Order: sequence, then structure tokens, then C-alpha cells
Amino acid sequence: MITEAELLKRGSITPEDTLRLTCSTDNYLCEVDDNIYGIDFTRFKIRDLESDTVLFEISKPSKEEMPDLPGSVDVTDPNAGRFVRYQFTPQFLNLKTIGATVEFVVGDTPVQSFRMIERHYFRSQLLKSFDFDFGFCIPNSKNTCEHIYEFPKLSQDTMQKMINSPFETKSDSFYFVNNKLVMHNKADYAYNAGLE
Amino acid sequence: MGLLTILKKMKQKEKEVRILMLGLDNAGKTTILKKFIGEDINTISPTLGFNIETVEHRGFKLNIWDVGGQKSLRSYWRNYFESTDGLIWVVDSADKRRLSDCVKELHHLLVEERLAGATLLVFANKQDLPGSLSSEEIKEILDLEGIKTHHWSILPCSAVTGKNLLEGIDWLIDDISSRIFTLD
Repeated sequence: MITEAELLKRGSITPEDTLRLTCSTDNYLCEVDDNIYGIDFTRFKIRDLESDTVLFEISKPSKEEMPDLPGSVDVTDPNAGRFVRYQFTPQFLNLKTIGATVEFVVGDTPVQSFRMIERHYFRSQLLKSFDFDFGFCIPNSKNTCEHIYEFPKLSQDTMQKMINSPFETKSDSFYFVNNKLVMHNKADYAYNAGLE
Repeated sequence: MGLLTILKKMKQKEKEVRILMLGLDNAGKTTILKKFIGEDINTISPTLGFNIETVEHRGFKLNIWDVGGQKSLRSYWRNYFESTDGLIWVVDSADKRRLSDCVKELHHLLVEERLAGATLLVFANKQDLPGSLSSEEIKEILDLEGIKTHHWSILPCSAVTGKNLLEGIDWLIDDISSRIFTLD
């Protein structure tokens, strides 16, 4: 076991550190500037394989495609873009097989070893932990990765609590280059959409 | 317990299989991948990096890597060889003009030490196109009979119709699992 306070005192954080966390962090464990490799997530997609439907898709224009409109983006919040809030209906919790896709671009330098660890929690209950090693990433590349997985089986009781407690389901996505944390994104989830 | 035995046992625990899919650009690698996992194949653009799919199939966890085939990207292929259990080589059976390139690139891979333990599946893709060469003809041109270093097979396929994709992947998994996951 390791606490967030202990980790924040460290200079650099390793994959093993984040695998020992027991709940979602209160803070980001690295700075936005730590991403010196120009790694940028440009698309997220979630689809249901049973019904063959896309449940959620968000894509972000790449820097070249982004029109230069001063004032249209709040540049004062350095954490904008590190956090996503999802609002799903209760039915989402009954899905069986899901495909989750991320698309990302890489800057001018080759990335030798890129690894993602994603931890999903409801309060302090770990629902799902992904650990995936992308390995090498080609400079100036655009890459995609889809994980197709069985949705974790949850008890009726847990599901009801998750529906009743919007945004207490949270995830941390940690990205490492050469075993050093370079990006940390967060998300939270509600499953009560359409109930109010 | 020898090292090989330990490695076998480690792999056995998760039954994880790493498949690397390569071939010249426009051979249809990404379309094969998307068709196999049931995604839309109408909006595919040239791969400028990699596409990975991780999917459970027949009790195995498949990690399939599709790496872009443009000339400028081929020198990076070597970065993806490590731990590969199965190599899928995709051929555009209708692109006769570039078959000599195709032969050359495949034979470069076959002498790679880090791919020495990989099973080879050749997909003679685009069989739906008029004028495409048969898998027998592709087999001759690629000199597959001459390969003594790898288990191999070739199948005619169409990424658009899906013909033989599942059969090919299943053959690959059968061959890999008979080599890696057998108890000794």
C-alpha cells in the first residue's frame, strides 16, 4: 500500500507505484509539462459489441486542424483536457462486451517504451485495472488501440450504489515513457442519466 | 526446470498471444483487422503508426498489432518483433507491379532472429478484385515452399467480404498453441 501524499513527494513515479494505489487520486501525479514527447490523445470511443453500436465517441482536432481563435479556449486552466466527465444511463452497467478505443499522436522524437495503466474505482473498490505496454511509438505517428473486454460483473447492490452516487465512480489513466510518469488523465462517471 | 519451460508456463497462465501483421502499404492489413473484430471498414485511411486490437478469442487473449506498411515506416517494423508468436503477412493479390517488393520485404523478415519462433500466415488478400492472383500463384512467387525456418500457411482471403479471415486466424492460433501451450 502506498498513499498519494507519499507519491507526491517523489520526483518520479513508476508503474508499480500506481498499481499499488487503492483509490482514485485527489491530485494529478505529474505536471502537464512532463509530457515532453508531444503525446496527445485525439479520439476516444466506446462501443457495445453485442448490439454493434457506438455508445460514445469524442474526437479532438489535431493542432494543425485547430482554427486559431483567440479567446475561444480557456487557456488559464492547465488541467483542461486532462479530465473527462461521462454521463451514462443505468443500462450501461448491464453491457456485456465493450470495445474501448483510444487514438493518439506522437511528436518528433521516437518514444522507446510507452505504457498505459488505467484504474477504475467505485469509491475505494477497484472495478478494473488495465495495464498495457505499447512499446515503441514511431515519431510523428498516429496510433490506435482498442481493448475489447468483458464488462466487470458487479453485484446488484454495487450497481445500485453506483447509480445512486453520480461521479463517485472514477478512473485514473497513467501514461509512462521509459517507466516514468509523463501523463495523468482523470475521468468520472455517472450512471443516472435519464432518471431525473 | 529449463528456461523454455518457465517461459511456456508464464505464457500459459494468461494464454496471451501476440500477433504482428505486416505487408506493403495498401495490402489491406487494417481492413482485415477491422473486419475480424466487426468494425466499420468504410472509413479506413493509411496507417501512419500502429493499430492494436486486444480481444479474447477461443480462450486466448489476442494482441494483434497492425503496423503501417509505407516505405518510410518499414524501418520501424523491427521495433515490434519482440515476443511475436504469429506473423501475418498480407499481400495485395491484385498489385502485380509491386510483388517483387513484397517478396523482398517478406524474406527480410524471415531471417530476423527475433521472429525466428513465429508462425507465418500469408493472407493472399483482395480475392474479390478481378485479375487478382490465386493463392497458389502467390505461394510460388513468394517461394513459400522454400521456407524451412517457420511453420507457414497461405490462404486466399477478402477483407471486404470477410472470406477466410477467421479460418486464417484460427489456423494461426492452433499452430501457436500446439507449439507454446502444450504441457511437457
